[in-house]
Amino acid sequence: MRYLFALAVGAVTFWSFTVPDAIGFQYPELARIFLWHFPCPMIATVLLFMGAWFSYRYNVTKDLTWDIRAVASMEICYLFCILTMLTGILFSQAQWGAWWQNDPRQTSFLLVLLIYAAYFALRGALSDEQRRATNSAVYALAALLPVLFLIFVFPRLPQIQSFHPSDSVMSGKIKGQYAYAVTSICAIFTVLTVWIYRMRVTAGLLEYASENTQNGYLDSDGGDSADSRVVRPVRIPRES
Amino acid sequence: MNRRIRAVLRKELKSEMRAKNGLVTTILFSIFTVVTIAMATYDQPLSPQIASGLLSVALLFAAIVALPRTMLLEEEQGTGDLLRLVAEPQDVFWGKAIYNLGLMLTTGLVLSVLFLGFTGTPLAIPWLYCLCLLGSCCAFTGAVTLCGALVAQASNRTALVGVLSVPLLLPLTFLAVSGLRVAFDMKGGFNVMNGVIAGVGLVCYGFASLAGGPYLFSAVWKR
Repeated sequence: MRYLFALAVGAVTFWSFTVPDAIGFQYPELARIFLWHFPCPMIATVLLFMGAWFSYRYNVTKDLTWDIRAVASMEICYLFCILTMLTGILFSQAQWGAWWQNDPRQTSFLLVLLIYAAYFALRGALSDEQRRATNSAVYALAALLPVLFLIFVFPRLPQIQSFHPSDSVMSGKIKGQYAYAVTSICAIFTVLTVWIYRMRVTAGLLEYASENTQNGYLDSDGGDSADSRVVRPVRIPRES
Repeated sequence: MNRRIRAVLRKELKSEMRAKNGLVTTILFSIFTVVTIAMATYDQPLSPQIASGLLSVALLFAAIVALPRTMLLEEEQGTGDLLRLVAEPQDVFWGKAIYNLGLMLTTGLVLSVLFLGFTGTPLAIPWLYCLCLLGSCCAFTGAVTLCGALVAQASNRTALVGVLSVPLLLPLTFLAVSGLRVAFDMKGGFNVMNGVIAGVGLVCYGFASLAGGPYLFSAVWKR
């Protein structure tokens, strides 16, 4: 499967370089970064909602496995936010002649990055794992409202003028081979995201299970001590 | 307001009246900020956009300086556990949020008077100015009170509260700038409706953060 996926990534990458230039850009021949830029914020937004949902589930159940899922979502979301910014900056330089335009859409996404940087700073400052999970879950939920404003409302306010289009898909401006290439890259990124997410959650659950083991789940009572060389099987919860 | 919320509020007011640290800090901060702005602009008349931006930023940093203290002091003085024993989380949140709202409104009033006096910025639409100021104070109060609770038991909590609060409050600062620039605009260059939308948005955000705050606070404020 991995080789198939690698082949698909190679094919789509090659296709992204050979797709005919799209019309509607100021410099169509320099607009191909758009193909890789477009899926990033969409995936980041989905992961953001997932992180908020898992944070809510943790608050309700106090089960640390939900916190592991929330952190995994947030970490990958952050990665895609950084990719969005980087590809957006490249596009901005190629099309509009400046790395940073103070464009409202650029600025709003930078604020989203800052909000989630604060999330990780909060996690790093709390040593107790239950408190860390609780406080970061509450912050993720509290941050949802300003993040929704920044992503969906702010760029569309009447007093905001932005270079960044907000209706490329809905108005049908992306069509033909460009649309197929964007869709393929979206699919590739989705598969990659799911793969990385599952690996990250599995690693987190293994870490959680090993910490619980070291904290004495296999401790025996005094006087009836088990042989320290005996290893009992440990049930590792799987990601469903 | 039930008697437990009143008790927490009375405790905050009595603590403040004893030392007056919070009030003195915010008033001095307001004075220093406005004097700095007046010096930095060489007493030149400020455009509505610049004036609204400077005032909103000053309000933002005044909120971050003044508001988290109510939560941080409980942990620093070791009285947090006592409060957990005698009061419900929602009552603690409302008591502290009402106190913080009063402090923020006082700060906003002092900052407004000083800013308008020192910079000579005229007010075109006073009611819109009051609406934006009230909305900003409510919105900042809800968010920063919660952030104070989140970092109260963290290491480097004083610095961390700013790191947590500023990104959450920046969208509100944008709304405040949008509303205040219309309120300062004597020449009618900005659409009044956009200013009203921004002001109403601030008030709604304030209500949302104060309404949702107790539930989020309950998860954080535990034994």
